[in-house]
Amino acid sequence: MADDPNASDLELVRRIKQGDDEAFREMVERYHSRVYSLSYGVLHNAEDAEEATQDTFLTLYRKIGTFDETKKFFSWFYRVALNSAYSRARRRRPGITVSLDDYAPRFGGDGTEASPQYQAWVSGVEDDVIARDLARRAEGFIAELPDTYRDAIWMVDVEEMKPADVAEILEISLPALKSRLHRARLFVRQKLAEAASRAPALSERRVAP
Amino acid sequence: MSHDEMSCRKLILDYLGDYEDGSMPSAERKDLEAHLSHCPPCVLFLHSYRATGRTLRMLKPREIPKNLAEAVMKFVKARCKDKE
Repeated sequence: MADDPNASDLELVRRIKQGDDEAFREMVERYHSRVYSLSYGVLHNAEDAEEATQDTFLTLYRKIGTFDETKKFFSWFYRVALNSAYSRARRRRPGITVSLDDYAPRFGGDGTEASPQYQAWVSGVEDDVIARDLARRAEGFIAELPDTYRDAIWMVDVEEMKPADVAEILEISLPALKSRLHRARLFVRQKLAEAASRAPALSERRVAP
Repeated sequence: MSHDEMSCRKLILDYLGDYEDGSMPSAERKDLEAHLSHCPPCVLFLHSYRATGRTLRMLKPREIPKNLAEAVMKFVKARCKDKE
């Protein structure tokens, strides 16, 4: 069973239902990093993400009896984690979200993409220092996305989870997930390109002295 | 889909995601690659789309707070004791 993570999760779930605190501890050890990282994707703040992680495991402890063992544990549990994070997010002042259409690619009369001048930053991604700066900015751009798009891009592109698993967690079809993901990527791409065009250092490769 | 239908707009808005995740049927994939072979702006766009993905992957691994697992255990125990 050890080579089947789902079976192991289920074993732990059954033991937790029977009041086995050691099984709960094992579950915390197994999932706390992933829950924290997922929460951070919603909240973009370390303290809030830590508190949301605690809320998630408290809910797990209290609600484990309602988990249907014919379903996949991780889908149920990630939904619990997302709900905890969004519950905390709602208590904060609402952030500003943007219209994706404002940052969709623009096309000229001949159908070609109308802003190729924004492309120079691409080579900068090969440079570690520039790439880290761009990544920091990208995190801010993701935070501006509407929730449904933010969840998709964070789980697939940052957490590198399988799209089919993410679709299951979000309870949407795979084509719907892929559509959200693509639109979110187009938005972040456009924002990165525009940021780089305003800060030329982000699109120049550094030359070693 | 004929080659003529593979405009830049369709390629970018409708097909790029499937192309990149490998789920595009091979006939359409060939059309798309034929378009790319004579459309430098779309090639640039594809590179920037891939660069966006590389940039996002850099956000992980995130630093996890020290002793988070222990803090979670303490939090849950304290809350559950309150209710008992």
